[in-house]
Parts: sequence; structure tokens; C-alpha cells
Amino acid sequence: MHSIWAVAVNTIKQVIRLKIAAVFIVLLLVLLPVMGLKMTGDGTLMGRAQSFISYGLSLTGLLLALLTIFAAVYTLTSDIKDKQVYTVLTKPIRRYQFVLGKLLGVVLLDAGLLLLFSAIIYTITILLPTFIKADDAQLAQVRNEFFTARAFLKPAEPDISYELDQAYDKLRQAGEVPAGVNENPIARRNYRKELARRIGLRKRAAVVGEEMLLEFDNVRISDPNQSLFVRFKYDVAVNPPDLQIYSRWVVGDVRQVRLGGTLETPIYSMDRKDLIRTFREFEVPADAVARDGYLAITFLNVPLNDTVVIFPLEDGLELLYKADTFTANFIRAVLLVFVRLIFLAVLAVFAGSFLSFPVAVLLCLAVFTMANMSGFITESFGEESVGGNVSRIYYYSLKPLLGLLPQFDKQAASKFLVPARLLSWSLLAKMGSVTLCLKTLPLALLSLLIFSYREIAKVIV
Amino acid sequence: MEYAIETFSLTKTFSDWWGRNRVVAIDNLNLKVRTNEVFGLLGPNGSGKTTTLKVLLGLLHPTKGKAILLGGDATDPQINRRIGFLPEESYLYRYLTARETLNFYGQLFKLPAKVRKLRIEALLDMVGLKAVANRAVGTFSKGMARRIGLAQSLINDPDLLILDEPTTGLDPIGTRQIKDLILELAKRGKTILLCSHLLADVEDVCDRIAILYGGKVQVEGDVHELLQHSDKTEIIADRLSPAALEKIKRLLADEQAECTVSSPVDKLETFFINIVAAAQQQAVPTSGAESKWEISEFLAAKPDEHARQAAILDQLVSAGPSADEIAAISTQQVQPQPAPSPLADEDLLRRLTEQAGPPELKTVVAQPTQAKPSLEQLGKNILDELAGRPEPDKTQNPSASRPGDSNNA
Repeated sequence: MHSIWAVAVNTIKQVIRLKIAAVFIVLLLVLLPVMGLKMTGDGTLMGRAQSFISYGLSLTGLLLALLTIFAAVYTLTSDIKDKQVYTVLTKPIRRYQFVLGKLLGVVLLDAGLLLLFSAIIYTITILLPTFIKADDAQLAQVRNEFFTARAFLKPAEPDISYELDQAYDKLRQAGEVPAGVNENPIARRNYRKELARRIGLRKRAAVVGEEMLLEFDNVRISDPNQSLFVRFKYDVAVNPPDLQIYSRWVVGDVRQVRLGGTLETPIYSMDRKDLIRTFREFEVPADAVARDGYLAITFLNVPLNDTVVIFPLEDGLELLYKADTFTANFIRAVLLVFVRLIFLAVLAVFAGSFLSFPVAVLLCLAVFTMANMSGFITESFGEESVGGNVSRIYYYSLKPLLGLLPQFDKQAASKFLVPARLLSWSLLAKMGSVTLCLKTLPLALLSLLIFSYREIAKVIV
Repeated sequence: MEYAIETFSLTKTFSDWWGRNRVVAIDNLNLKVRTNEVFGLLGPNGSGKTTTLKVLLGLLHPTKGKAILLGGDATDPQINRRIGFLPEESYLYRYLTARETLNFYGQLFKLPAKVRKLRIEALLDMVGLKAVANRAVGTFSKGMARRIGLAQSLINDPDLLILDEPTTGLDPIGTRQIKDLILELAKRGKTILLCSHLLADVEDVCDRIAILYGGKVQVEGDVHELLQHSDKTEIIADRLSPAALEKIKRLLADEQAECTVSSPVDKLETFFINIVAAAQQQAVPTSGAESKWEISEFLAAKPDEHARQAAILDQLVSAGPSADEIAAISTQQVQPQPAPSPLADEDLLRRLTEQAGPPELKTVVAQPTQAKPSLEQLGKNILDELAGRPEPDKTQNPSASRPGDSNNA
């Protein structure tokens, strides 16, 4: 440990004294306060806070990611290229200790810089309401929808297996299932998956003049005096002229109405007009939730709209309620960024253990970019997009490789902080352990193995 | 343990990425370096000297064969904690200061902080860089970097010191100091493997040498045995009068031996060192390394001071001496060499020429002073051998004294 620590401290000195980190640090120190002052978002206090925290954290994450890649690759490859390894590795230090020391140095530096910059972002965000003139309504909105951490629930998934079987059989009998799909298990599974998606989507669509009911089973709210937030986004078949959708919402335990009798819990109703393809929220008192945790949300597509309204499957409609503080959520979101930096440090050390500086950096940037668009890549290479043998090749070759890629786009800190979504410790632990254990650890072991057995010197004759 | 370094059919070949252009860098090398000897690995550029060191230290994997250092594998921390290595260039972290550099390497040896601190100060003093200890190594001249490189190789008090071209980039004083240090360390039981193509360096300090060419050992043996001309005799005497010279010539003519007479010429190295020592006595300011003769004063053993200096060096290598102690020694200045003696006693010369008995004359019988050309001649002979030309006769005459001892006397 003594040797690892000595190498780690030396690495930190290297990155700082050779001014590798200086560009990134200066850039962030200048940009973050400027962004805090100049960013307006949609003009409201909420918009400013959201866009600052989103861009501030994204920029910090991006620049620190680049710094991590450059620093970790440089520190290892320059020691090999400039031959300091000759004097270091002939001392009583194992090669794996040397690599771990380099890694520890970069990770500690990341931790320090992330702490500094997240503290700056946090302070500016917290102070935003004090140096921006905002009315009480805006302050209340920020308090309820931004400076908080809300648990989010998705509607219960309806059981569609019967419908799916029916639909599949019907298509097969009609001869509409493409040739070969029924015989090939992979192709059949993909085909049925696509069919299930369509059926699910149909249940999330409301035609003109009709209602769409979405039910939540497990809404556990500790304080009935607090508020619930319904967050939604419209997709439409035909764009309305003013891009607005008129709607009536009913929220509460609608089973009471069906059964008749007095209402134990209130049912709330409201009319709204909202922009399409944009996230919107409205507040409902939490007493609307039934004692058993049931809550129904009904959306009426009023005839004025003249278009089918669809709530996208992934995030078209969610129910949010306060579950933790903004500060705690912010800390966890920063830890999520830190997990990403650890992965990148390991990736960079791995690349540096056998590649030269420019090649290693390019490899890391390529992986980093791919990890940032993992959703898009998975979709593009998805089983649905290809068929037959190509699909089989993909299934056994590319898919496991893509599985090794971390999903930075799905684990972005701003995805939680902008909508004030709760990033629970358990979710953080789950995402962190998947990234660290399944994707980072094998890479780390591989780099230790490569560096331990490679020839450090070159033969010069 | 008889051998500090042993190699068995050590071979290293390399080729390009496609497996073409197979080049043999080391070819079946069987090197044996005895414990407590100064062994010189010589060879022209590209002869495989440095590659051999890299394989010995585990920086390169041998294609075939095995190398054993101090009875084990050099990559084993238990073994390499007893090895000191100075590569062909110092390869230091340029952003660290001299003190931080030594501290970093000391940490790798897990030396306790107190011991580390003492050793660092002692070493900085020894290599004359105490005044610039807090300057980044990147701003050092090549010679200063070399001094720090040497200091790092000594921080663990190694049993085996491997030095690759230790004197490159050093001024003559630094070169002399390193040579003196090598000799002093050898006296203290260290084994030193010196790799160089600077023949004078090797000749001054090595007990045995091996000459590499094309990855193969061409010649291996005792330096004196290899260099001595047993068919010639050299007599060094105080200044003689022309009459005395004539008598000697006549005497030698009777013996049917040819002779040349000349006054001994100082080595340029000695001359240079004397000039700089004189300048230092006058305290001429300099921005370079403070060559206060620490190494020569510190390590070169005068009979009466030997015990005291040995104690100091022992302290340095075990726990490190106090800075004051070192400073006390380092401030001593080298005295200028005594002027040549006046004319020799005529009577003595007369007795010599009368063939009455030579022992009374103050003479030094040693190998010819033209040792350096002899070594070059040796190299030529090897080249001749390689070119298929006949090898000149090499007569060997054992010599008991270490070459450096006579150098220091």
C-alpha cells in the first residue's frame, strides 16, 4: 500500500504540475459562475435553475471526463515513453501496484476536483432565488418542483399476454407474419416484442372524445398533506395548429364512483391546456390516494383537439411525490458522476497499458462517446432492425460487447436533478455496482494483467 | 554466494510487428559477475550492453535463457530491494524537485520517514546538490540530473549496483567523483556492474571486464591481465641529469634493450581537476553543481582518515549521518599536488649505473603508462579478429593491486 500511495501522490503532482488539469480547472472556474448569472432557461426561476444545474453538471462531467482520460493515459504512457519506469519498476514495487497507484492518483484527483466544482454548482443553485427577482408563485414552484427529491412512479403495466397471443395468432393465420419468423426463436421473440410494444402503446393512446385510464397501485405517502405531481408529455398523431392540447384530468380513487356511496378520499378534476412534446406537471393534493395505495388518473381527450393523443411508453406519464431533500439528491447525483469518472480512469489506464498516448486517447474518446449514446446505439443495432443470420451474428457477437458499454446517457445526473427526481441510495448502488463491478472491474483486471506481463523497455540495437 | 549476477545462455532476439527482420541483440550470453567485484561491460554502440541490463532487470523478457541476480529474479521485490540501478540517462520526473525525487524512490523502498530524510540529506550533500535541492529536476543540466540519478540508485544501500554509462554528461570532476565513489563502494563489499563505452572510466575502476560485440562476449577477464605488456618494463624515477640519463642508456645498451626517455605527462583529467580546485579555493561563483569534492573527500580513503570516513559511509548506508558531519568532511579542500622533487641524488644514480644494486633507488615498477592505447589496441585486436585478421600475442601477467588503488595513491 505504501508503494501504491507513493505512486498515487506522484501522479497527482504530475497532473497538477505539468498543468494537464489547469485548462479544465480554469475553464470550469470561469464558466460556472458565468453560466449561473447568464443562463435564463425559459425565463422563469425554475427554468434558470434547471438549465444551470443541467448544463453546469453536464459541463463539469464532460470536462472532468476528458481530464480523466487525458491524465490517466498520459501518466502511464509518458512514464513508459520517457522511461521513468526503468527506475521505478526496478525498485521493490510490483507492476500491478504501479498501475493501481496511477489509477488511485487519477481517481483521487477526480474526487477532489468533483468536490470543488459540485460545491460551486450547489452554492450557485441554492443562491439563485436570492439574486433573481421572482414572485411568490415562482418561488413556490421552485420549492415544490426543483429544490426537492421526488419519487417517481410509473403506471402499473397492464397484463397484455392474452391480447398478445391473440394478436399473434391472428396475424399468423392471416399469413402476415413474415416467413421464417415463427420457426426462428430469436426472430419470433423479437417479432412478439414489437407486437407487445404496439399493443402497450395502444393502451397509452386516447382518441378524440375518449378517456384513457392509468392506474397506480403502490403509492405510499407518509404525509397526506403533501402534494403529488403528475408529470406528462403528449405525443400527437397530427399537430394541432397552436401546438396545444386541451384536456380534462380526473385524479383520485375512481373505484369509489363505480361502487357508489360516499367518497372516502377526494377526487380532483381539472381542465388544462398544454404544449405538445414538452414535459408538463400539475399538482394534486396527496389525500387523493386511497388507503391501499391506489390512485387512478384519467385523461379525457376533449373533442376540441381533433387528434389522437399518445403518452410515450417510457416517460409519457409519471406520478411524483417528495421523498427526500434536494441536497441529499444532489450528493447522490454527484456520486453518479464520480462512478462514471472511475470507469473512465480505468478505461484510460487499460488503454494506456498497451497503446501509445494518441491511440489510447482516441480509443477512450470513442468508448466515451458510445457510452454517452448507448441507447441510440443499442436501438440502431437492435434485433428489430436486422433479420435472419445477421440477427444471429449480432446476438452472439456485438450484443455482449455492447453489454459491456456503460450507459452514461441513461445515468446522467441531470436526468434526476432537473425534474427533481429521487435518486435513491438503492438505485445509486444498483447503477454504481453494475458499472463498477460488471464493466469497470474486468477492465481493471485486464489492464493489470497486460501491464504485468508486457515488456516495458524496447530493444534498441 | 559466489556470483552476484549469473546468466545462462541469455538470448534476446527481436523482430518487427510482422515477425520479419529478426535481429539478435544478445546471443547466448553466459555472464558471471562475482560478488564484491567491479565488473565492466564494454562494447561499441549497439553491441547489446543496455539490452543485457534491461533483460537482467526484467524490463525485457529473454527470448531464451535465464538471468539470476543475487540468487533470484530481479523482478522479485525481495531481490530488487538490494539492487541499485542507474539507467543510461537518469529518466527522472522533471516536475519533482531533487529532494522530492529521492523521497519518492525512498518511499518505494518503504524506508521509514526518519531514515529516508537522513539519507536524502546525506545523498544530496554527497552529490553536491544540496543548494538546489528544492529546484525541479527538469531545470537541471544533464550532469546535475546524472548526480540525482546516481543518488536515487544509492538510496537503498544496494548490495548490487548496476550503472549504465554513469559518467555521461558529467564534467571531469563529476566523472572522477563517480569513479572514486565506485571504488569506495567496492571497498565496502558492494558488487558493481558498470556498462560503458568510455574506456578510461572502465579501465580506472573495473576489476574484470567483458567486451560485447554483436550480442556476444568477445573477451572476458581481469583488466590488468588483459592490458599488461609483460614484454616491457617501465621505470619511474625522480628528475635525472643528462649525464645520469646517458649512463642509463649505456647500461641498457649493454643489455641490448631499447629505451625512450621522456618526462611523465599529467592526465588531462588530473590537470583539469587541479585547476578547478584552485578556482574553488578562490571562491569563484558558479550557478552549476557545487563540486566541493564531497565525493572524493568523502569516499577516497586516506589511511589515517579511512576509519572515520568508513564510519560516516556506514551511517549513510544504514541510517544516514547528520548533515553537520557530512558538511564537516565536505568542506575540506583538496591540497594541490606537491611539486616535482629537485634533482635526484647524483650518488644514487652513480650507484645505479655501477650495477651495484638497484633496490636503493626510489623506483616504481609498474605496467606501462600507455594503458589507454593498450585498451584501444585490444579493441582493434577484436575487430581484427572479427575481420579474420591474425590476433597479436597477448601475454598475461597477474597483478595484485586494484587499478584504482594506484590511481588514488
